[in-house]
Amino acid sequence: MAHALHSPQDADLLLDVSGLRKSFGGVHALSGVSFSLKAGEVHALVGENGAGKSTLIKVLTGVHKYDAGVITLAGQPFVPSDPQFAKAAGIQVVHQEFNLLTDLSVAENISIEAFPRGRFGLLDRVEMKRRARHALDAIGLSDVDVDMPVSRLGIAHRQLIEIARALQTESRILILDEPTATLTERETSRLFDIVADIKAKGVTVVFVSHHLNEVFAICDRVTVFRNGATIATEEISETSPEGVVRHMVGRTLLEQVKEPNTGIGDDVVLAVEDLRTVANTHAGGISFELRRGEILGIAGLVGAGRTEVLRAIFGADPIQSGQIYRAGKPIAICNPADAIAAGIGFVTEDRKDEGLILDMPIATNTSLVSIKEVSSKGLMNLSKERDMAKAGGARLKLKCGSVADPASSLSGGNQQKVVLAKWLASNPEILLLDEPTRGVDVGAKAEIYAILKDLAAQGMSMIVVSSELPELITLTDRMLVMSEHSVQGSLLPENYHQEAILKLAYGQSDTPKGPTS
Amino acid sequence: MSAHETQDVLAKPSPFSFKSIVNNAGIGLALLVLILFFSVTTEFFLSPNNITNILTQITINLILAVGMTFVILIGGIDLSVGSVMAFAAVIAGKAITLSGLGTAELILLAIAAGLFAGLICGVLNGVLSAYWALPSFIITLGMLNIARGAALQVSGAQTIYSFPYAFEEFGSMLIFGVPVVFLLALFLVLIAWFVLNRTVFGRLIYGIGNNEEAVRLAGHPVFWYKVAAFTICGATAGIAAIVYMARLSISSPIAGIGFELNAIAAVIIGGTSLAGGRGSVIGTLLGAFIIGVLANGLILIGLSDFMRQMITGVVIIIAVILDHYRAKLSSR
Repeated sequence: MAHALHSPQDADLLLDVSGLRKSFGGVHALSGVSFSLKAGEVHALVGENGAGKSTLIKVLTGVHKYDAGVITLAGQPFVPSDPQFAKAAGIQVVHQEFNLLTDLSVAENISIEAFPRGRFGLLDRVEMKRRARHALDAIGLSDVDVDMPVSRLGIAHRQLIEIARALQTESRILILDEPTATLTERETSRLFDIVADIKAKGVTVVFVSHHLNEVFAICDRVTVFRNGATIATEEISETSPEGVVRHMVGRTLLEQVKEPNTGIGDDVVLAVEDLRTVANTHAGGISFELRRGEILGIAGLVGAGRTEVLRAIFGADPIQSGQIYRAGKPIAICNPADAIAAGIGFVTEDRKDEGLILDMPIATNTSLVSIKEVSSKGLMNLSKERDMAKAGGARLKLKCGSVADPASSLSGGNQQKVVLAKWLASNPEILLLDEPTRGVDVGAKAEIYAILKDLAAQGMSMIVVSSELPELITLTDRMLVMSEHSVQGSLLPENYHQEAILKLAYGQSDTPKGPTS
Repeated sequence: MSAHETQDVLAKPSPFSFKSIVNNAGIGLALLVLILFFSVTTEFFLSPNNITNILTQITINLILAVGMTFVILIGGIDLSVGSVMAFAAVIAGKAITLSGLGTAELILLAIAAGLFAGLICGVLNGVLSAYWALPSFIITLGMLNIARGAALQVSGAQTIYSFPYAFEEFGSMLIFGVPVVFLLALFLVLIAWFVLNRTVFGRLIYGIGNNEEAVRLAGHPVFWYKVAAFTICGATAGIAAIVYMARLSISSPIAGIGFELNAIAAVIIGGTSLAGGRGSVIGTLLGAFIIGVLANGLILIGLSDFMRQMITGVVIIIAVILDHYRAKLSSR
């Protein structure tokens, strides 16, 4: 295949993927992925969120079918039709989110895929425990009692039990999807010992991680993803963290000239003081100010606590402690209605679950927040509602047939415009945006950026959370970088260097803030 | 990178309202076929007396099903309506047989008492299930037992009778062969249609059934809307209780056993999705008619009541299977 970035002729290739493509609707999740595994290596997959790592794993494990490309496993064509098929072929995956049944015992969880049966097809408990003991011992977990319910184990042990479960059947490839995300340093080093042990037994390990120091500690090779494609595959011994970051970032938009936003006012429209969210009871509080017409970005990795900050300001989740000031006055925001009354809007990260009522008309979605504007005494004024939807659509260059069509009939970009129209209809002074262009194609992205900048020029203030650095660099006037539920740094556009931002976000800054856990 | 060609998928136009019309048209067609079938195969099906009979028979189920539509639209279920109806009937029966009041006062008092009893049960169902986010299936299963027990306790397990004549008159009154109580049920359907299609409240009921979180984040008090849906359902059980008393001239604490299932069946056959958010009260009207016409027609063509039950069951299952495909269609 023409897309191969490496030489697929290596004799000892266990898995070879080339030219792999996969789309969901109009969104290209994988657009030419080429990747190979040498037997017995530990191979890292890195890249920003949404770069395609998870989709590749789901294709390899038979969760998603691929649109185009070639996969060969040990020289044979490999078309995983369902998860069972992939497992039978020896590809095991340990997901980031656990698939354990917490009320069952360790032994039951380990045997869940194939319970040992005795006479009359009854469960052979003795054999089940023996197998569980064997599986645990194989990865050095001799201290775990197989009769203990999983609910009594810590996160780290649960992770290891998942690994034990994956390894008890004949495994050729073990995929670990961000296995250290919830582990402490000590637990991580134990995991690494186990990975080294697994490798020594001839199992090939795929290691997905956001932590480059881990990648460099245990991996042999690394493949970098960006925008659904593989950018490079390198030997760990021949590269450096800086090199990998450079691949992750690419050159896109880097040299773009950023015009300074001259419309930022002096008045602080929103101030947050020592805010601690319920998701984060231990970290220090978060404080920042937002001025009129300013677009403030929040960068960081998934799990850094960015979404939680927005949700807390909007009253979507309760606040643990801290104070919010609106135009200088302290206000209490207990629920979304309070936030909306205070002139705050919230474009959520998840269009399908939180933003849109997909099966209902575009007009219904547009009027959802300002339904009082298109009704009187509780009665809907349907023509007024249509007018609102049409006006909102025209303002945002929405491409749709009729505003009576369901929102689900639109493309991702146009769906996002409907969400924007919904909030703009309520004339907010402050707009919170969480991943405003996720699942949106490049053309619509540029349109949305232009709309947001235009709104800011008219005096609207915004806080934008995004996992796409180019997006934050294009859009924002100032950027906070978060990690571990606290602000690691605040940057002005003249200091917007992707490598610096990524280092802060990855906890790799020159002034380290405690251990990564 | 060729990865991101702009691709605006302006997918097939499938308007919400148009689709619901098609859905109702399908159910209406099924009803029409049933009516044609029975009028050809039996002598008396289309006789004025039999039509009056059918309308009388479906009235109570239709009233209960109207309230049930609200609850199912928000993605809930109310298993308690049959028992709540009996409880409301007993309370209203106690009120209407009080001594020392004029007939008009007694009737008004009974109607108020029955409505209030139903309403309170509905509020409890709503608050308990919405506040703790518990499955309404379980909460209303509890209420089913509570209301039935309360009905038996309050009445001392005795049937209450000897109501004012004017009250019983209302239950059997006809206008051009149409029972007044059926007209009342039809009136409730129209009100419900108006509320669901023309008010902010109705709009948000559909919204909550489709995507509760989106409605919550739009600043609407989802909790109270849910309580309101259950309250409406309880109130219709109260209304059904009054109609039941007027028609049969008794209040029995063991009335309405299994009525909740018929009401749910009418809603589901009418095309309202058990998952919530999709459906209409016009569909419910047609669903109640299908159940009533089937019950009447199958007896007329000489099938046993047992066979009728079996066939009604088959129709419910077919309705749910059809709904499965409708749901697939609507999610492209």
